[in-house]
Amino acid sequence: MGLLDHIWLGIVTVFTVDPVFSIAGLPISMTIIMVFLGLIFGIFVGATPGIGGPVAMAISLPILISIFGFKADALLPVLGFLVGIMKGSTVGGAVPAILFNTPGTPDSLMTTLDGYPLTKKGQPGKALRVAHFSSVSGDTISDIVLITGAPFLAIIVERFLDFPEKAALIILSLAFVSAVVGSNVWKGLLAALLGLFMAYIGTGEDGHPRLSMGSDNLANGFPLISAVLGVLILGEVFKSLEDMWREMRETSTITKVEVKGDNKLHLSDIRKILPFIGISASIGTMIGALPGIGSTLAATLGYATGRKIHKGSPAFGEGAIEGIAATEAANSAVAGANLIPVLSLGIPGNISAVFILLATESIGGFVPGPQVFRLVPDQINQEMVYAFGLFTAMIFANGLNWTFGGVFMRWMGVMIKIPKQRLLPIVLLLTLTAIYVQQTNMFAVYVTLGFGFLGYFMRKLNFSVLAFVIAYILANNLEESMRQAFAVTGADPWFLFASPTSIIFVVISILVVIFFARNQKDLN
Amino acid sequence: MFALTNTTTRLAVAGLAAAAFMTTFTAQAEWKPKGPISVVIGFAAGGGTDTQARLISAELKKRKGWNMIPSNLSGRGGVVMARKLKSMPNDGLSIGMAVTEVFGYNMLASKKSGYKTSDFTYIATTTSSQMGIVANTSKGWKTFKDVIAAAKKGKVFKFAGMSAKHADINFLIEQKYGVKFNTVVLRGGRKVMNAIIAGDVDLGYGAGIQAKAVMSGKMVNLASGLGERLRISPNAPTLVEMGIPYDIGAKFIFVAPAGIPADARKALADAIGEVINDPSTKASKFVSKRYGGPDVVTGKKLDAYIANEIKAAKVLMKLMK
Repeated sequence: MGLLDHIWLGIVTVFTVDPVFSIAGLPISMTIIMVFLGLIFGIFVGATPGIGGPVAMAISLPILISIFGFKADALLPVLGFLVGIMKGSTVGGAVPAILFNTPGTPDSLMTTLDGYPLTKKGQPGKALRVAHFSSVSGDTISDIVLITGAPFLAIIVERFLDFPEKAALIILSLAFVSAVVGSNVWKGLLAALLGLFMAYIGTGEDGHPRLSMGSDNLANGFPLISAVLGVLILGEVFKSLEDMWREMRETSTITKVEVKGDNKLHLSDIRKILPFIGISASIGTMIGALPGIGSTLAATLGYATGRKIHKGSPAFGEGAIEGIAATEAANSAVAGANLIPVLSLGIPGNISAVFILLATESIGGFVPGPQVFRLVPDQINQEMVYAFGLFTAMIFANGLNWTFGGVFMRWMGVMIKIPKQRLLPIVLLLTLTAIYVQQTNMFAVYVTLGFGFLGYFMRKLNFSVLAFVIAYILANNLEESMRQAFAVTGADPWFLFASPTSIIFVVISILVVIFFARNQKDLN
Repeated sequence: MFALTNTTTRLAVAGLAAAAFMTTFTAQAEWKPKGPISVVIGFAAGGGTDTQARLISAELKKRKGWNMIPSNLSGRGGVVMARKLKSMPNDGLSIGMAVTEVFGYNMLASKKSGYKTSDFTYIATTTSSQMGIVANTSKGWKTFKDVIAAAKKGKVFKFAGMSAKHADINFLIEQKYGVKFNTVVLRGGRKVMNAIIAGDVDLGYGAGIQAKAVMSGKMVNLASGLGERLRISPNAPTLVEMGIPYDIGAKFIFVAPAGIPADARKALADAIGEVINDPSTKASKFVSKRYGGPDVVTGKKLDAYIANEIKAAKVLMKLMK
């Protein structure tokens, strides 16, 4: 079976398998419905300050799995919903940034700079339309790079990487994530080491569970989902509750804006912003393909680059539509490219990718890695079909985003009225419930709370929780590939230095750490 | 009972009769799980054990309305799963799936496996492995004898297995023929196949997962690990024929912690057997395509099979010494 057969099967699987109802004779499949619901939900949460895409994905995942089950058929509907959230939330995040000068997600901080001035001028509609157009364009460009790039990267990886090189590549990813995320390289490395340590409790190749101190609960390690959701979601909730408590006395009033003047997006506007979209989308895609650097940095870089090349008035920061375009195209372009390392290597780069990987780990039938894109003569590689199914779902989500997304987005102004003090307890309750539903024991809930406090203190002390989580997820892969590399080289202790490729990976790992650590000193 | 008075004896007999009556009564009212059944799979997602466990779970959910929750717990050729399963509640709501060697050779070979045969209730087997030694056809090898010939010239091949047993068999081959392999144990047959295709290893063990690739001519079964030649590759000699007197075939098996209620054991075994023996189910189609059909063993026969497995494992362990 050739590549085209797999692409076609992927498309067919998304649109025809498991039809729920039909509109005018056209069957509507479960995956399609889930993508649609995910997108709406994503726009909704993106527009709500205080919760973003990752929180929504985290809470949805255990619930989705208990609804759809663990069979491979569940894969596309679940991934479809998650992809929908991912795409919807980047669009939705711009809404409160533009209308109320409050970014819905950290990525849209830069959107406030030009979005809010436009609102004050009475042109919120124009600002929202520009944000929507740029965001979806950036996302689409990034997806195209993913769809064309991931299979090639996978083939290269498979052809050139042996056991020792794979171990070296995981070390490189961890070094990179630790070095670039967060405030300090050494703190990043410490966070990653802590993640490795936690993941090594109870796991491993020995029949005897290590570091479990004889506890039967720990014999199998901490439940993965408890550790990840605890640090990422509960830690954030605890921190936000504390922040709110501090800021209680500060009151902000939302002023009503009168809508006047030009609120449409004209062809001439599009012509003006297209170059900015192109540049920002490229920046976002490149950043997305590297593990660890998130959409917030992409947005900042996109905005900064845009400001440099922008001429004429209004200037950036005074309500330039180019400013909105540069930011939104960059932060949205991260999402698609982020899946390149996930699908071709099984290495997650940011939080959204972590949840996509968690979904594939919970549901059988699809193990991200180079074998996903392998063509076998006369046979169907089911994993490749799922990969192209996922791509189809992403393109479909983009289509929905182009058509309905803008309309929904402009309705979401009301979300600012949801008070954070009500929202955070709901998130807390939903997360703990979701954990209990999936794990069906209280130990998992206690572990989640424990990791929640860990996440809270890490945030207080400025340690990167992302480095912790990615290290936690990659820890067992790292151990496994190290052991296998050691065995397959005939017990050579220098296996990491046995081939040029792995030496290069190890050297870059060290250089990345030194480079970012030195830069830091200069900044101080 | 001799020392008991007449009255106590009578009372005891009456009690026994009542208990017997109760048992028959509960056996007639079919056992029903009181909650979700967690199915712990001893090998990685996407492999043969995993696929069977998930297909059977899904079919049981459909037929019986039982809420089955599969999860993977791989490592040490199923030993990690067995360790965990042992201490799970024995109410029929926790079952595991692995291969029979987890409760035979793999258990004995681990210094601290942490469990013993009597820690489990054996529920049902589903099918037998078609264990072979596999390589890419492009290597040019016809049978395992060609590999040995090349190895004797001093070449060290990378050889992937799925459990400690495979590593030990490799050691026996090394001893017998004076050759050397770099043996690596991977988590499940799927990973072994990937490693062979990608060229990360030169050859490896396949429990049946290789069938499609062998049929299409992309891969070749170099030797059979069973007591007999493989159905799809009659030209490949058995390891026994090559002087390694050991059958490394295994059956895929569902187990539960020791002491689950007898009615639960029977209900689970019957339900699993019914699914796998029904040719219209996906699970049955899968095992027919890959392993040559269902092979359901339950109850006392299964206990005897496990006991035999242990005996055979001890023979191999002796060989190793």
